[in-house]
Amino acid sequence: MVSDYSTEVASALKQATDGELELVWLQGQSCSGCTISMLQGQYPTLEETLREFRMEVTFHPTLMPEQGEAAIESMSTSPDVLVLEGSVPTEVPSAATLGERPDGTSKPLVDWVQELAPEAEYVIGVGNCASFGGWPAAENKNRLYGNESVTGAKGLQFEQREQPGVLGPDFTAGSGLPVINLGGCPPHPDYMLLTIATVLNGHTPELDQYNRPKPFYEPLVHDNCKWRGYFDRGEFADKPGDKGCLYKVGCAGPYTHCDDQDRLWNDGTSVCLNVGAPCVGCMEPGFWDRFQPLDKEVERQSFVGPVTPEDAGWAALVATGVGIGAHAARKLTGYGKFEKGDEGDTSDGTDEERTSPDAGTEPGTETGDDRTE
Amino acid sequence: MVEVTIDPTTRIEGHHGMELEVEEGAVTEARSTMKMFRGAEIITVGRSPRDAAQLTGKVCGVCFICHRIGSARAAEDAARNAGAFDGPPENAQILRDAVEGIFFLWNHAIHLFALVGPDYSDAVADTGFERLDPLEGAGYVGALENQRKLMQALAEFGGRAPHPLAFIPGGVATHPDAATVETVKSRVREVSEWLGPTEAVPEVLENVQNGEFDPELGEGLHDIVSILVAAAREGTADLGSGPNRYYSNGLFRLPDSGERIFKRGVYRDGSVERLTKDEIVDGITEHTEYSWYTDDSGGSPTEAKPPEPEPEKENAYSWGKAPRFEGQTMEVGPLARLAISGYDPFDLRANLGGGPAESNTLNRLVARAQEALIVRDRVLDLLGAFDPNEPLMADFPDNFTGKGVGLWEPSRGTLSHYMDVEDGTIERYQIITPTLWNIGPRDGEGNPSIIEGAIVGDEVDDVEDPLNVMRTIRSFDPCLACSVHIRSPDAEYETTVEPPKPGDEQCVVNTDG
Repeated sequence: MVSDYSTEVASALKQATDGELELVWLQGQSCSGCTISMLQGQYPTLEETLREFRMEVTFHPTLMPEQGEAAIESMSTSPDVLVLEGSVPTEVPSAATLGERPDGTSKPLVDWVQELAPEAEYVIGVGNCASFGGWPAAENKNRLYGNESVTGAKGLQFEQREQPGVLGPDFTAGSGLPVINLGGCPPHPDYMLLTIATVLNGHTPELDQYNRPKPFYEPLVHDNCKWRGYFDRGEFADKPGDKGCLYKVGCAGPYTHCDDQDRLWNDGTSVCLNVGAPCVGCMEPGFWDRFQPLDKEVERQSFVGPVTPEDAGWAALVATGVGIGAHAARKLTGYGKFEKGDEGDTSDGTDEERTSPDAGTEPGTETGDDRTE
Repeated sequence: MVEVTIDPTTRIEGHHGMELEVEEGAVTEARSTMKMFRGAEIITVGRSPRDAAQLTGKVCGVCFICHRIGSARAAEDAARNAGAFDGPPENAQILRDAVEGIFFLWNHAIHLFALVGPDYSDAVADTGFERLDPLEGAGYVGALENQRKLMQALAEFGGRAPHPLAFIPGGVATHPDAATVETVKSRVREVSEWLGPTEAVPEVLENVQNGEFDPELGEGLHDIVSILVAAAREGTADLGSGPNRYYSNGLFRLPDSGERIFKRGVYRDGSVERLTKDEIVDGITEHTEYSWYTDDSGGSPTEAKPPEPEPEKENAYSWGKAPRFEGQTMEVGPLARLAISGYDPFDLRANLGGGPAESNTLNRLVARAQEALIVRDRVLDLLGAFDPNEPLMADFPDNFTGKGVGLWEPSRGTLSHYMDVEDGTIERYQIITPTLWNIGPRDGEGNPSIIEGAIVGDEVDDVEDPLNVMRTIRSFDPCLACSVHIRSPDAEYETTVEPPKPGDEQCVVNTDG
């Protein structure tokens, strides 16, 4: 069967077919974009995943034939994997509800999360909202009606770049792992399917400081950008769509970690920067406000002292030389290296921000051993 | 009287529930509850007009392109009214129409097959139509494959789908070359071939009625017609009657004349009224008496403040507001567009649905199917009119002061974005979505919304299995999949109905106490 699909996703899922594995997919303050993204997964497709690999989705509001109360009853109360899409409102809990409490009132998502997460073997936040709060947690800039964020929206274990989210900083699921965050608005379908497959196999994804699986979230968008040559030469576009690097019209590529430039979207069709759209940084915690206004040069909050874009280009180039090699090596090894128990200390030994091109001036911190194993 | 609570009614953007009162075998009252609030309008205020398109584009991961374009149009309108902008290039407007058309095909395919189709499948409703069975039927799986092709076509222009980033105020950021346009066309043609030739509709209809299947006539067409035939047999022409009042912002401009394929206006009292943009904008108000917002959050969307939440408000039951046109509810979506435009291909609504402008559950499905056929040809025309050598992006001003309205017409119905900008910063923002028009709450006069009215009168032979009510809900494409939780007002008994699943011969009913 694997030969039918012959990808790392299929290989990983194939190993998980020894028994039914139960998954619960909840939606908080979501737009369903992560679900729609997952529907675009190929080799295997989601329907193949469900049909051939016996992943049992006991609850998914968009996909399951069972519905409503019956769906809630079919929901596993101790799932192998709990997935949340969308943020969790904490100051206005009624801003996202599902079903009813015993007294007939609407049951807030925060209750569902508090009940199910401790019972789950793995908890995955798909998308920026579930991981970090996402756009429902964006700043209420004019302080309309008082609140800093309108509904007190949070991610599962993070609020923007800080812990804690709804579950608190010390939360670990049954596996001993914290919430696995798949940032992105939305995340790539491979990120979702491959991460689910990995944990279902009992493997432990190596996580970065925001609990994102490193294989997806370590490369910088900037490193493999189609326009990178323009950046290095200091040739900048005046508006989106113009020829040149989009850094000065708001591109967050130098600050954004994901491998989409290589992986591409929609079965290898394209990626944001390839169509002249500046990266908005959707894979990063703190997206929205960290990079806004999105159409203006990103404040170089991570740079130490004044650095010109040309300097940054040079610095990033140094980092890229190491980074690309590491990435290529990792692609070959796939996920097989993440054997349970051998992940050891997944931190890179520093809590520093590793999100700016100048990190490359200290290759040791940006491209430590964990990148090249 | 039995009170029926449906929660969750999923498969719309957000969370939704429905409360029904059933008396003597029919629904006597319905209340539609939108159960999610995020505050898009509040978050948008204080930001750049350009950022609004990026932010509100992510209001919905299903209707992503529509909000992005609607917001861009509002920003462009505001800048134009300020005398700071001449409008996006014509070529960009053609491309926006084209991607919206591709999006129509995508959304209709997903809705008809993945969301509505199972209702009329063998597995769920024992109709004999096995190709529609969820996740197993060949038709269902084929639709999922084809939706990926359409999303790939959208990604060619937008970089990715969902949530493409290229559509922003000023035009479209991308510069597709001729080869890319050809790639998109070939994707659309592939899906078009799966759908089948338009002229085959009568023959396919005959085949479906006779239990025959000829893949040469189009697999998609066969399955879509199967849904319509099954729905007709199940009596859905007599369900979900609306007031036969429709509203559309119009879409798909002909580049030469500016005339739209789908007309702009309203239909009421049996006739069409063509309306200008100003007449539409002036006619709309929003009500918040039954919404979890302060009473003064309603009014004209060109004047009202962003909605102020009041979650404990007495008598409120929805996070949705109640939009009205000149005080009246208006149904929006494919049926509205076709009724206003006067299209009824093959007289399907006249023959099957009791009349081309009759609002009922079956006609909403028929119109969606008819529209898919109309739009797939229109997309290829638009792509043919698109010139890769013409500009796609105009300089959009950084700083201006002005008010703008972006009217747009996504697949689910009319959409409008309202934006006030002062010194380059958004001071006020309002969005009215198609779902609000169709499934919002009551207005200040106590008048039910379209869906609340449509469900009243639906026969419920068995209060433990109001399948037809659910079919009506789904026909609006809020994409609801509902289970039913039934209890009496004084909780003397409680019954849970488990809807049919694939493989079940009938509903499984669990009764507790």
